[in-house]
Amino acid sequence: MMPLTMAQPGQTVVIRKVTGKDEVRQHLAELGFVVEEAVTVISVIGGNLICKVKDSRVALNRDMACRIMI
Amino acid sequence: MSITIALAGNPNSGKTTLFNDLTGSSQYVGNWPGVTVEKKEGRLKGHKDVVIQDLPGIYSLSPYTLEEVVARSYLVKEKPDAILNIVDGTNIERNLYLTTQLIELGIPVVVAVNMMDLVRKNGDRIDTNKLGEALGCKVVEMSALKGQGSLEAAEAAIAAAQEKKQGEHPHVFTGSVEHAIAHIEESIQGRVDAQVLRWHAVKLFERDEKELQELQLAQDLKTHIEQHIADCEKELDDDAESIITNQRYAYISRVIDRAVKKKASRHALSVSDKIDRIVTNRILALPIFVVVMWAVYTIAMGGTKVSIGTMATDWTNDVLVSEWICGNLGAWMEAIGCAPWLTGLVVDGIVAGVGAVIGFVPQMLVLFFLLAILEDVGYMARIAFIMDRIFRRFGLSGKSFIPMLVATGCGVPGIMASRTIENDRDRKMTIMTTGFIPCGAKMPIIGLFAGALFGGSGWIATSAYFIGVGAVIVSGIILKKTKLFAGDPAPFVMELPAYHIPSAKNVLHATWERGWSFIKRAGTVILASSVVLWFLQGFGFVDGVFGMVEDNNTSLLASVGNVVAPVFAPLGFGTWQGAVATFTGLIAKENVVATFGVLYGFAEVAEDGAEIWTLLAGDFTALTAYSFMIFNLLCAPCFAAIGAIKREMNNAKWTWIAIGYMCGFAYVVAMIVYQLGMVFAGHFGVGTVVALLLLAGLVYLLLRKNKYQDSELRVPVRSVAAK
Repeated sequence: MMPLTMAQPGQTVVIRKVTGKDEVRQHLAELGFVVEEAVTVISVIGGNLICKVKDSRVALNRDMACRIMI
Repeated sequence: MSITIALAGNPNSGKTTLFNDLTGSSQYVGNWPGVTVEKKEGRLKGHKDVVIQDLPGIYSLSPYTLEEVVARSYLVKEKPDAILNIVDGTNIERNLYLTTQLIELGIPVVVAVNMMDLVRKNGDRIDTNKLGEALGCKVVEMSALKGQGSLEAAEAAIAAAQEKKQGEHPHVFTGSVEHAIAHIEESIQGRVDAQVLRWHAVKLFERDEKELQELQLAQDLKTHIEQHIADCEKELDDDAESIITNQRYAYISRVIDRAVKKKASRHALSVSDKIDRIVTNRILALPIFVVVMWAVYTIAMGGTKVSIGTMATDWTNDVLVSEWICGNLGAWMEAIGCAPWLTGLVVDGIVAGVGAVIGFVPQMLVLFFLLAILEDVGYMARIAFIMDRIFRRFGLSGKSFIPMLVATGCGVPGIMASRTIENDRDRKMTIMTTGFIPCGAKMPIIGLFAGALFGGSGWIATSAYFIGVGAVIVSGIILKKTKLFAGDPAPFVMELPAYHIPSAKNVLHATWERGWSFIKRAGTVILASSVVLWFLQGFGFVDGVFGMVEDNNTSLLASVGNVVAPVFAPLGFGTWQGAVATFTGLIAKENVVATFGVLYGFAEVAEDGAEIWTLLAGDFTALTAYSFMIFNLLCAPCFAAIGAIKREMNNAKWTWIAIGYMCGFAYVVAMIVYQLGMVFAGHFGVGTVVALLLLAGLVYLLLRKNKYQDSELRVPVRSVAAK
């Protein structure tokens, strides 16, 4: 497993685990970041990234992206 | 009997457009009690007895963000007659997550699938009948942007409210989870209304703190429920909250399988994604951003041939206000024989004061219009993302950029724009620092001193921007290390809307909304204070008799100025004129120039005060002028902006903290510059020592270790556009 920040733009990956405090995890889940869901990385700027999950585009900063393990 | 319909949906689902469409101009905008979350309600067009209550855009009813707390407590406690749930058809899976929670509330729900035109264009199909059957509620199609189906959706909600029948609860949960929830339902039966039993049971299963607080269950009952939850968690090897989330998504994907047919594979890149690959590209993002901002700034505030904003503002100032209103009104009032004091009050007091603000309106409208386009297109959300990395370094979030950008035009709408920042701490910090940005009204001050003492050097204006931006950065770093702002800025999580062609209706509506509140707020405060200032300036005691004075050195204003002046002595401008000009700057910053004009005996001066340059050069040295400029750029903003701060802070204590901080910071910086500048001129005294100590203090505050550093992430956030 590695954090989502390691994925390259254009790559589609599957979420294995979401770590962090309950409330952060819950919020990520509400946005569609749940285990076994596929995520497509659209662009990466300095660790912050934009990705596509469940048909919506979500921007995450590095701190948050590190919590999503792929 | 009146019916209340609550409008609920995800951010970016088109809720605002639908709300505007349904209510037209009959809107009431306020705040939800105790918080700065905007509350909008209005009456449905053609149905006087139907109230549409707009709820903030939310992803779920878990009480994590302020918006969710507000929406949830409204739905649970106020119990609207029906919920109209707007769902983005192009992103139906995630949007239905909220729907599964709404249908548990025991309130009739109508689901309106928005953006159906786009869904069809993509070649996808959504079978609303099947969807409705599966969810146990009525599902209608609509396209808010094209105005199709909105009224039908509202009518379906009215019908559902009148019928009062709520659908069967769909089988969202399965297996041991359903079993445990059923048990919880059984054990709390009779304590809550039968209709909302499911909602309460699910919340108890999630161990929702707010729910536990409100239900006040007996200890043995709690233990009993806890046992069920723990068993379930053990069986599924997950925590209760995740179990519920996963089952909701599993349920949704079963529903989608039946009712939705997608043409393209889910992970194919859409046009919007392709644009994002360029616009938010690692290398191109910043250059594109700079070009866009430059274009916006040039059109709204620049001095080129395409600068519509500047041209319109110049016309308003020079022709509309000066010639037409001031000139004609004055002549007319004299002609009909008005008392001179009344003519003075109207022309010099009210028209001159309010006119100064009105002059900014065209420029503001152009700026708001361009920003509204960027927002509607979807670029604004990307700007926040691109800037986040930079702003985070000094304790602000990427979303602080937009208020600061607007503030280069005027601080009032700039401070108001901070509303889109949902994290309380980030928002307060943005409100406190936005006023440092040199706004349009501060430009004349810079022009005056640059012209009078620095030979019109362009470097003075440039340095003013650097001072403003520097003040924001330094303040960000200092403030984030204080107890008031402890902790990291909220992690950046934001849904980005798909790029789309802006709708004229949305853009004009947003422009007008912001523009009007600017005119209204600035207009009322300035009107009142112009009258007061005019009075103080024109009246005074001469030989013990109160009356209108010819020489304003004897005016009430001068008396006040003389008392205050010593305060500014350490900054180098301890004259009553300097004090008075600073004071009148509070009413509107460009008043500083006008005040000097009046004080030096010129009835009217050009915007940059060219007439008084020589006189001013006699009273000020380059150093005192620069110190005066710094103080006036950084100290408390004008009354209109203070009013905006008060409104956005929604708290008297925080308003005073913000104003106190700004004045204190301005004082310290101006003093350091003046006193240390004097050292170069060969003066060394007590002031120098104090200034050095202050400088050392500032450096310490900047460099000290942050003892409140909180490595744990704080409450996450919602999307920027409440659309």
